[in-house]
Amino acid sequence: MPSTVPIEWYVALTITMFTIGALGVLLRRNAIIIFMSVELMLNSANLLFVAFARHLSDLQGQVLVFFVITVAAAEVAVGLALIVVIFRSKHSINIDEINMLKG
Amino acid sequence: MNAFGLAPLILILPVIGILFNGLVGRRFVVANRKTGEKWSGWFATAMVLGAFLVSILLMYSLFNNDFHAEIIPLFTWINIPAANLNIPWALQIDTLSVTMMLVVTGVGSLIHIYAIGYMHGDPNFSRFFAYFSLFIFFMLILVSANNYLVTFVGWEGVGLCSYLLISFWWDRVDKDGVPMNANAGRKAFVVNRIGDFGVILAIILLFWTFGTLNYQPLFESAIEMFTSGQMVEFGPYSLPVGVVLTAVTALLLLGVAGKSAQIPLYVWLPDAMAGPTPVSALIHAATMVTAGIFLIVRSEVLYEIARESGTLILGLVSSPDLVAYVGGFTALLAGLIAFTQTDIKKVLAYSTVSQLGFMVAAAGMGAYVAAMFHLIMHAFFKALLFLGSGSVIHGMEHGHHEISQHGEEDDFDPQDMRTMGGLRHRMKTTFWVYLIGSLALAGIAPLGGFWSKDEILAHSGEHLVGVYILLLIAALCTAFYVGRMLQLVFFGKPRHEAADHAHESPSLMTRPLIVLAILTIFGGLMNLPFIQEARAERANNHPESVYLGLEGWLEHTIQAFELTEEGVVHLPHTPIVLSPTVAGLSLLLAIAGLTAGFIVYRKRPKTATDPDPLQRTPIWWLSILPLNTLYMKGFVPVFNRFAAWLAFAVDWNFWHDFVHDNLIRDMFVTFAGFLADVIDAQGVDGAVNGAGKVTRSFAGALGRLQTGHVRNYALSIFLGAVALLVYFLYFAR
Amino acid sequence: MGNPLLFIILAAIAIAAALGMLLSRNAVHSALFLVLNFATIAVFYIVLNAPFIAMVQVIVYAGAIVVLFLFVIMLLGAEQLRALGSVSGSDRWQQILAGILALVLVGVTIIALLQAGGSGSEAIPLIDSSPTALGLELFGSYLLPFEVTGVLLLAAMIGVVVLGLSKKRGEDA
Repeated sequence: MPSTVPIEWYVALTITMFTIGALGVLLRRNAIIIFMSVELMLNSANLLFVAFARHLSDLQGQVLVFFVITVAAAEVAVGLALIVVIFRSKHSINIDEINMLKG
Repeated sequence: MNAFGLAPLILILPVIGILFNGLVGRRFVVANRKTGEKWSGWFATAMVLGAFLVSILLMYSLFNNDFHAEIIPLFTWINIPAANLNIPWALQIDTLSVTMMLVVTGVGSLIHIYAIGYMHGDPNFSRFFAYFSLFIFFMLILVSANNYLVTFVGWEGVGLCSYLLISFWWDRVDKDGVPMNANAGRKAFVVNRIGDFGVILAIILLFWTFGTLNYQPLFESAIEMFTSGQMVEFGPYSLPVGVVLTAVTALLLLGVAGKSAQIPLYVWLPDAMAGPTPVSALIHAATMVTAGIFLIVRSEVLYEIARESGTLILGLVSSPDLVAYVGGFTALLAGLIAFTQTDIKKVLAYSTVSQLGFMVAAAGMGAYVAAMFHLIMHAFFKALLFLGSGSVIHGMEHGHHEISQHGEEDDFDPQDMRTMGGLRHRMKTTFWVYLIGSLALAGIAPLGGFWSKDEILAHSGEHLVGVYILLLIAALCTAFYVGRMLQLVFFGKPRHEAADHAHESPSLMTRPLIVLAILTIFGGLMNLPFIQEARAERANNHPESVYLGLEGWLEHTIQAFELTEEGVVHLPHTPIVLSPTVAGLSLLLAIAGLTAGFIVYRKRPKTATDPDPLQRTPIWWLSILPLNTLYMKGFVPVFNRFAAWLAFAVDWNFWHDFVHDNLIRDMFVTFAGFLADVIDAQGVDGAVNGAGKVTRSFAGALGRLQTGHVRNYALSIFLGAVALLVYFLYFAR
Repeated sequence: MGNPLLFIILAAIAIAAALGMLLSRNAVHSALFLVLNFATIAVFYIVLNAPFIAMVQVIVYAGAIVVLFLFVIMLLGAEQLRALGSVSGSDRWQQILAGILALVLVGVTIIALLQAGGSGSEAIPLIDSSPTALGLELFGSYLLPFEVTGVLLLAAMIGVVVLGLSKKRGEDA
């Protein structure tokens, strides 16, 4: 293909997705939605890594993405387990009600 | 054998006694009176006996050392190199100091033993012995010193102990409410101080002239300076050494007059009888008062140079002759005063003054050995007499206790001779020893007192006829008042029931008396003229010194010498031969005086209130010169007013009220208040509390960040992340 | 880097899916939008010459993680919750702040990108990104992180099991 997509486009896309994910973390009250937003953020970072791996002809970007996916999976598992546990005691997943660590 | 190393023990042992009795002795006495007194008293006595033993050992060491003096340094006392002032504390063990040590510790230990019995029952028993040990300590410092300043330390110290011991019963008041013991102590101290003033000036002059105060170098350089005609510089003036030494010896005479109770400073000694009798015996008869004579004998070189220089004080008399005349007049005056005393201890006090006059006169005339001989003998028989009088007083008190029903007749004075009489039968031991002492005092051969007094008379007969006459009349007076005393106390009939019921004192008191009596009888053997003659012969044939008699013993320290242009020429010993005229005359006068006293007082006074037989004769007005009145009316009020001014105006109003209270205390309080209220409460507390408050409010503010809401945390993270990104993009190129 | 047109289409889908996930009231709908986003990302990966990663993305993310999400949503009955509910006063300013920050972030970045200028559009050679090459890289220089990640997964598993224990047993443990 003669014309390629400049790397800056990918950066812009990534930033946008990341911002949407951040807004999701900040604005939503449902804990599960917040989790999903975090996953979105992670994904945007992954996308950028792979884009740069392609751009710099370096395989290490993909290796890192590999690891990130793994860790994200583990994190989701543990986080959802935590939410289940909290739900058992508080019967709510509205994170505004989870403020027992109020200082 | 060489026991010089033991010399410091003579100082250490009394200190142990002081510490024991001062610190723990009281507990022993309080716990169990009988055994406690034994512990306290015998401990002190053991210390003095120990010192006596050491003195004997030192005597033997001197024998083996060819009688050469030994200096045993203890430590460097004052050392100021910038002023060339180096005064060590060292012991000078020579024949003179050992003689004094033996007298002090020997007679002292006997008096210690006596005092255990005499002070029985006194609530301050151990304090007494602590003071006694303190006195022995200072007296030994005085005699064993090797320089003038350390001697002066001892000089002052014995003055202090005299004060402490005279006013031992300081809380007793007589019937007018006057604390007579305390006053007597103070009088002794103040009068002594006047004498000390002279001694201090003399010491300063000596240091200025010779640059050292140690005896041996000082004396050597004195002789050198005198024979070489060197002058002493006093700023723009310069004086020959002889004149300076005349001044020094005259100033020393002032000190001697204070310490040894000569005219005009004898007034404290009769008052000092307010102290317990052992004190009177030890301090005011045997040892302290002889310190003056010791000082003169020690400074023999200075006196001889003063004599040789021919300098006359006020153009009248040379300094040593002045000493002799002062001694002579004192002897006569005190002897006359003793005629009229009714208190037995006062008689002995004036007798002491008189005998001290004999000694001082002898020393002034250059008869140093005679003076020392009389000093030793006088120590024996005067201590004997004082202790004997204590025994008599003890007996009278017991008698009074027996007859009185619970404190009636409170103004009974057990020391008043007018109430005594006939005690010869009731107190036999005391009588015999007292008789021996009295005869020795009067100068009856062959008791010791005769030999020593006779030697002085002989010397004076050869040198200063005026002094000879004075001393002869004084000897006559001595015999008279001795006879009077004996007659009033021991003979005749008791003039009071208390005397009737008197009984002998316990053996603890009488045994030392017996020992002293023996010493009195045989003490004269020390320096009999015959011995001196034999010695002189031997010395002239064999130039090596030969020890024989006191004269030979002392000669190694006090040598007769003559100063010529070639320097010092030690005179060969020319003994005073026993001239039958002098000896016979004095003996005759003694017997005459005694007899006269006996006769006058034989039958009268019959009762205690009868007037003294002498009062009807016109002799009595010869008694007390107005010196005592002068002191009481002239000096005492002025002194009291000055002291009161110092106490109230200067010390109390100015120093305490103004300086201390207002100035220092108020200033301090204000400053402390400032520190406490302003700096501490507001400043420091404010800072500390403020720091706490700030932290708390800050923490409180920060704590509000911990909302517990995850979203807020996330927001802050996001905020931080964005800020970082902006920074890295734009500002961290 | 692919065809610009393809990029734009895919980017639009991805952003739309993200927005859909953000704004959807129903949690299940959000999850489904997320799946769409993941799938789009996977396509991106393929375009960017990372086939293995793309497959891993589909398998792990879309296949396992989102399924897990859906399980939990069903378990907790969370689809009834409202989305952006009522906000209290103090929360309002936080939301506004969040919006501002988001705009700042995007704006700053885009401005920076525009200022950076083009990096050239030469063709960049493709590298070997087959599983073999990736495997060699993983087991070569990244062996330690690989093993550590394995341990991490183990720990996560154990943690999940522990957390998932029932109340009674959970209190004892």
